[in-house]
Amino acid sequence: MSATLTIAGLTVREAVRRRLLAAFLAITVTVVGVSAWGFERLSHAHSITSGEGRFAVAEALVLFMFMFSFVVALSAAAIAAPSISSEIESGVLMTVVARPVERVHVLLGKLLGLASLLAGYAGAVCVLEFVVVDVVSGFMPPDPVLVAVYLFVEGLLLLTLALSLSTRLSVIAAGVVSVAIFGAGWLGGVVGSLGRAFNIAALREIGTIGRFLLPTDGLWRGAIYYLEPPSITSAHSVGAPGDPFLALSAPSWTYLLWVACWFAVVLAIGAVSFQRREL
Amino acid sequence: MWPASSAEPAPNPAADLADELGDGAGAALTASGRRGPSLTTSRAAMRPLSRSPAVHVMGLVKRFGDTSAVRGLDMTVERGEVFGFLGPNGAGKTTVVKMLLGLVRPSAGEGLVLGAPLGDRETRRSIGYLPELFRFQALLSGREVLRLHCRLLGWPKKAWPDQIDGALATVGLLGRGDDRVGTYSKGMQQRLGLGVALLGDPALVVLDEPTSALDPVGRHDVREIVRSLRLRGATVFLNTHLLEEAEQVCDRVAVIDKGRTIATGTLHELLGRQSRLRVKVTGLPDRWWETQSETRARDRRGDWLVLEGVEPAEVPDLVARLVAAGGRVEAVVPEHQSLEARFLELLEEGG
Repeated sequence: MSATLTIAGLTVREAVRRRLLAAFLAITVTVVGVSAWGFERLSHAHSITSGEGRFAVAEALVLFMFMFSFVVALSAAAIAAPSISSEIESGVLMTVVARPVERVHVLLGKLLGLASLLAGYAGAVCVLEFVVVDVVSGFMPPDPVLVAVYLFVEGLLLLTLALSLSTRLSVIAAGVVSVAIFGAGWLGGVVGSLGRAFNIAALREIGTIGRFLLPTDGLWRGAIYYLEPPSITSAHSVGAPGDPFLALSAPSWTYLLWVACWFAVVLAIGAVSFQRREL
Repeated sequence: MWPASSAEPAPNPAADLADELGDGAGAALTASGRRGPSLTTSRAAMRPLSRSPAVHVMGLVKRFGDTSAVRGLDMTVERGEVFGFLGPNGAGKTTVVKMLLGLVRPSAGEGLVLGAPLGDRETRRSIGYLPELFRFQALLSGREVLRLHCRLLGWPKKAWPDQIDGALATVGLLGRGDDRVGTYSKGMQQRLGLGVALLGDPALVVLDEPTSALDPVGRHDVREIVRSLRLRGATVFLNTHLLEEAEQVCDRVAVIDKGRTIATGTLHELLGRQSRLRVKVTGLPDRWWETQSETRARDRRGDWLVLEGVEPAEVPDLVARLVAAGGRVEAVVPEHQSLEARFLELLEEGG
C-alpha cells in the first residue's frame, strides 16, 4: 500500500510539474467563459418563451457537457497511454521495479495518481460550468454531483483501459487503440438509439452489445439523464427517440455492477500483463 | 520470484540449489515458499543463508523467441568480492543481470542471489542496481529521486537525510542535489544512478556498465567507490566490457560469450598461466639452450630469450642456471598478457 501511495504521489507531482493541470484548467476556463456568454444570450432571447429558453439552455448544456466528456475521455487515454510503456522504453521504471515493490503496486499507484487528476479535472469542469450557467440563466441540472461522478467514471474506464494496454503496447498504439475503442463505443450507442427510434432489432442489439463491451457510452447516458430537467424526460416519455443526446432513464444497478466488473477485469488483465512483462 | 522451471511434481529448484550449497539454505527456502516470503519470514530465512554465495546460478537459459541470449550459464560470486562480468557486446551480460534481479524470467535453470531465489522481492532490499540504461524522473531533483527510493525501500523518514546526503557526497553531486535531473548531463545522471544503487549500504551492488557516460575523472571515482565497497564487505557485480576497468578493481572475473561462460577465475589464474618472461643474457655458449630439458623457450631474439609459462618461483633457479652456464644476465622482464589479449584469445578459442 505504501508503494502504491508513493507511486501515486510521484505521478501527481510529475503531472503538476508538466503543467498538465494548469493547461487543462486554462482551456476549460476559456471555454466556460465563452459558454457563459452563449447561455446568457440563449436564456434571454426575445423570440422564445421563458419555458422554451430553459429547455434550450438544458439542451445546450448537454451538448457542452458532451464536449467536456469527450475531453475527459481523450485526456484519460492521453495521460494513461504513456505511463507504463514510455517508462519501460526510457528505462525510468528499471530502478523502481528493482526495489522491493510488487509491480501491481506500481500499476495501482499510477492508476490512483492519474485517477486523482481526472477526478479533479471532472469536478472542476462541472463546478465551473454549472455555476456559470446557473448565474447567467438560472438553470441548474437536477443532480450536478452525479453528473460529475458519471463523467469521472467514464474517464476512469478509458484511463484503466489505456493503462492496461500500455503495459504491453507502445505509447502511440495504446493511445490510438483506446481512443478507437472509445469512438466505437460511442458510435455503438448512437446506432442503438437509432435502432430504438426505428424499431430495428439488429441496430438495438449492436447498441446493447457496444455498451457492455465498453461501458463509456452507457455512463455518458447516465450523465445526460442527471443533466436533463424532468420537463425534457416527460416530454419524450412516449416513444423512443433516436436522439444520442437524450436519456430517458438512469443506468440500472445491474449495469453499474457490470461497469464495476469491467473495471476490475481490465485492471486485473493489466496487472497480470505487467507482472509478466520482461523488462 | 520467478519460477525457473515447471517440472512435476512441483519442484522447488531454489531449495534444491540451496541444499546443494550445503548450508541449510534448503530448509529455509522451502519454509519461505515459492511465492516469496513475507518480510519477517524472509529475514528469519535469510539469517542462515549468510554463508551462501552472493550469486550462484546453474544452467541459466534465456530464450527470446528462437534466439538464445543465455545458454546454460553457471556462475558463482562469493560474498565480499568484486566480480567482473566480461563479454563482448551481445554476449548476454545484461540479460543475465536482469535475470539476477527478477526483471527477466529465465527460460530454464535456477539460481540464488544472497541465498534467495532469483527475483525474490525482499532480497531486492539488499541489492543496489545501476542499470545500463540509466534514466530517472527528469522533473524531480536528484535529492527527490533519492527520496523516492528511500520511500520504496520503506525506510523511516528520519533516516533519509543522512542516507541521501551520503549518497550525493559519494558520487560528487552534493552541490547539484536540488537541481532537476532534466538539467543533468549524461555523466551526472550516471553518477546519480550510482548514488541510487549505493543507498542503504546494500550487501550486493550490481553495476551494469557503470562508467559508460563518465569522463576519466568519473571513471577514477567509480573505481574508488568500488574499492570502498569491497573494504566494507559488500559484493560488487561489475558488468562491463571495459577490460581495463575490470583489471584494476576485480578480484575475479567471468568471461562470457554467446550466452555461455568461457572462462572464470582470478585475474592471476586467467592471466598468470600465460605469463611470459623475457631474459636478456649474453655470453651463453652457442646452442646451450637446446641442450637443456627446458622446452618452454618460445623464441630467441639476439640476446633476448623469451620463455612462456614461467612461474615467479622458478625465476631465481633459472637465473642461477644461466649464470652457471657462463651467461651474463642483464635483465629479467616478466610480462603478463594483458586482459585484452587474453580476452580476445578466449573468444577465439570459444569460436
